Amino acid sequence: MQQISLLLASLPDGILLGFVYGVAAMGLTLIWGVMNVINLSHGPIIALGMFGTYLIFFKLGLNPYLGLFLVAPLGLLLGILIYVVAVHRVINAPHLSSLLATFSVNMIIIGLGTAAFTTSPYNVDFNMGSVSLGSTTLLGTRLIAALAAVIATGSLYLFLYRTRPGKYIRAVANNRSAAELMGIPSSRILALSFGLGTMLAAISGALIATFFPFSILSGGGYELKSFVIGVLGGLGNPVGALIGGLTLGVLEAVIPAFMETSWVPVIEFGLFILVLLVRPNGLFGAKQ
Amino acid sequence: MSLLEVRDVTSGYGEVQILWGASMKLDEGKLTCLVGGNGAGKTTMLRSVMGLLKPWSGSVWFQGQDVSRMPAYTKAEMGLVLVPEGRQLFTDMSVYENLEMGASNKRARPHVKKNLEKVYAMFPRLLERHTQKAGTLSGGEQQMLAVARGIMADPVVLMIDELSLGLAPLLVLQLFEGLRALRDAGLTIMLVEQNVQMALAISDYGYVLAEGKSGIEGPARQLIKDKHVREAYLGL
Ligand SMILES: Nc1ncnc2c1ncn2[C@@H]1O[C@H](COP(=O)(O)OP(=O)(O)OP(=O)(O)O)[C@@H](O)[C@H]1O
Ligand SMILES: [Mg+2]
Repeated sequence: MQQISLLLASLPDGILLGFVYGVAAMGLTLIWGVMNVINLSHGPIIALGMFGTYLIFFKLGLNPYLGLFLVAPLGLLLGILIYVVAVHRVINAPHLSSLLATFSVNMIIIGLGTAAFTTSPYNVDFNMGSVSLGSTTLLGTRLIAALAAVIATGSLYLFLYRTRPGKYIRAVANNRSAAELMGIPSSRILALSFGLGTMLAAISGALIATFFPFSILSGGGYELKSFVIGVLGGLGNPVGALIGGLTLGVLEAVIPAFMETSWVPVIEFGLFILVLLVRPNGLFGAKQ
Repeated sequence: MSLLEVRDVTSGYGEVQILWGASMKLDEGKLTCLVGGNGAGKTTMLRSVMGLLKPWSGSVWFQGQDVSRMPAYTKAEMGLVLVPEGRQLFTDMSVYENLEMGASNKRARPHVKKNLEKVYAMFPRLLERHTQKAGTLSGGEQQMLAVARGIMADPVVLMIDELSLGLAPLLVLQLFEGLRALRDAGLTIMLVEQNVQMALAISDYGYVLAEGKSGIEGPARQLIKDKHVREAYLGL
């Protein structure tokens, strides 16, 4: 009984957090889906998004959610820069090359971030009040973050399916040389896709910053979660990423009601391996 | 004047040389065909012309301009369009979106409506199936879509690699008729074909590629009578 009430109290939080996980995973999965690159700089970019919120809140005195309108374009530009500098050269090379290239970017961001912010934890104390629903309380920050996550997902979907550059991204993902033959500059489209994936990672970081304390090293955990979600939802499938994110959020809320919190990663990664073994294309199907 | 000229191109994959000097000229408004045995290097030649493969030496001239070093998408933008071997459709996208992607270059965009009417008139089947995913079309329908997508690019020169491969004879006939109509309307076309007899029958001019080198060439009507061509490619 006590467990049930604990569950009811933490489930909504888990679901709301799940939306944000979904956005992070979408960034990873978009890049993989378009260019078959596993972006190992995903985590530090999430951390940069967190520090984006921090700087915007403390240095500019802006509302962190308004700050998203700054974090998003900066994330996009950063991603394009990373693509041009580190990824483009190895785009046709075997996977190991792009893993090493993005891992180097990972190290560079962590190095520079440590120099700027040290590795000690930061906190964005931002309160948006809360809403009570019966016995459960929903934090305003989480509600708004979930809303922002839904908007980000919806926009990505509309972008990919309704706009010309979005369709180019899908065409390049589907058949790069055919896209080139039709007059689509595939390198520019790849850079744009990498930018968008990075932007989503930065947005998710910016949203998470208002929930938990963070440091420049915090991205790693979310990167791993993104992998789990990506595999759950099927790498290369944005809607699958959102559903996978929700699944993970719910798991994280449910598990502590029954066992030690330290079991959470064990179960998450157990699930990860199980899905890889049983349904390597993801629970919700994927392109391929 | 020849719209497209390939001069002594050599090319290959990695260390392996496939083309040992291939040349060709396409005259404006003419249907030219390129024939040759399996593995002769026809596809490699088209890939080198488009720039999907970098020519090792030699040059490619389009509308009097040296385009040897230009990327494929720039050439498509200029009007040099290839319908590649194996169709290479955007299989996860709908028929309509494939056609839309065909018209992605700036030159083609203003003519989307006119060209859509044209391809739907040529292949009514595509209109019936315009919301279907390209990957789920039948082989013949996919080939129609591949050609239609090429036409959507509003080509100045349309090159088609293996038009008839794996298609029913009736459809082949229909496609050849369609090409002839396009040629009569002024389009410059290059056709790579396994079906040498039929290709020569509708072409104005023909080239034979053997072991990566240009060999015999001439007006199609003469090639069809050529003793060597008849023996080697027509099995007569
Ligand atoms: N990607 C590749 N890597 C290595 N060798 C290749 C590659 N593509 C083609 N080749 C080789 O190049 C040679 C010429 O191939 P190409 O596809 O140009 O021939 P083709 O004339 O188009 O033949 P077909 O009529 O069978 O289509 C062949 O021996 C083939 O094995
Ligand atoms: Mg071929």
